[in-house]
Amino acid sequence: MGLELDEGRSTVTTKGRVNSPQSDTGNLIKDSALGLVPETLPHYLDLTVAIWDAGPLSPSDIELARLRNANHVGCVMCQAVRYDIAVADGLTEDLVDQVSKQGIQAGLPERQELIVRFVDWYVLSPSAHDADLKRCLNEQFSEAEQVHLALLMAYFNGFSRCAVSLGGMPDSMPRMEISVPR
Amino acid sequence: MAETASGHKASYGEVVEALPEIGRQFAALYRSFWSLESVPAETLELCRLRLAQLLGSDVAWRFEEVSLASRQRDELSRWPDNDGFSPAQKACLELTEMHAMDARSITDAQADAVKLHFGEVGFVALVQALGVFDAMIRLGLIWDLSSMKVDQP
Repeated sequence: MGLELDEGRSTVTTKGRVNSPQSDTGNLIKDSALGLVPETLPHYLDLTVAIWDAGPLSPSDIELARLRNANHVGCVMCQAVRYDIAVADGLTEDLVDQVSKQGIQAGLPERQELIVRFVDWYVLSPSAHDADLKRCLNEQFSEAEQVHLALLMAYFNGFSRCAVSLGGMPDSMPRMEISVPR
Repeated sequence: MAETASGHKASYGEVVEALPEIGRQFAALYRSFWSLESVPAETLELCRLRLAQLLGSDVAWRFEEVSLASRQRDELSRWPDNDGFSPAQKACLELTEMHAMDARSITDAQADAVKLHFGEVGFVALVQALGVFDAMIRLGLIWDLSSMKVDQP
């Protein structure tokens, strides 16, 4: 089974394109196909932990950006996952539902709305100049928070595209909580 | 964020001074792709440059991570009909273009073409690299960086 066409829209292949390593370390990055590339694996592991632990944004804010990105990329696995530290930080499924819909939903708190706008800008039109977004970000987010937002998007957008490219993605998955792989 | 206090465009290292730990880890991941056993650096540089063209980043296009024959640079946008690119490079460039447009649209045949030349490890390394190169180019655009040199914070 490869690419399937459905009324002109492509769907994600359900057949994995590589065999993951035969390891069972309990670390979902090491045990995934990413574990096949020895030169990059330690850096993926270190960057993953740094994204969650070494920046000023809350786990809930990081998770909202990650989920908005997952919808853009169409990564079913990324959409199904909830990081437990974000749930513990107060992330609600109501908020997830709001950021998962196209456009900007009325009623989103201003800070979360700006996260959504930033993700959309990063994914859809990074070369466009958006003076209003920049002004609003400067009012609501510190410089370190804005750098964190950009770097977490650099990480999650690349990661989710990689996951989709490797194949093996089902059409749907149930919601599941995971921990940051350490 | 795009300019330093003295008014000049900032480098990557200057921007991520606000968050050095994450900035260092992302830089380390980026640099790790240029010494892979599974995919030649020259092939990855062609893919990075093609992404720069597709994303419209002049700074990324002008930057040289790995030295290439000038003929390959000049002909990069016309790679499908150009004999100056090897079959292995063409397989990677085709995957690069699909990855840039919509990773969901990559076909098994396109993935197999890369695996034929570089194996499963090379295929995984390539899609990892494309995600990180794409990210670096996007950071360059949104931060209006002076260069794509990934320097240390």
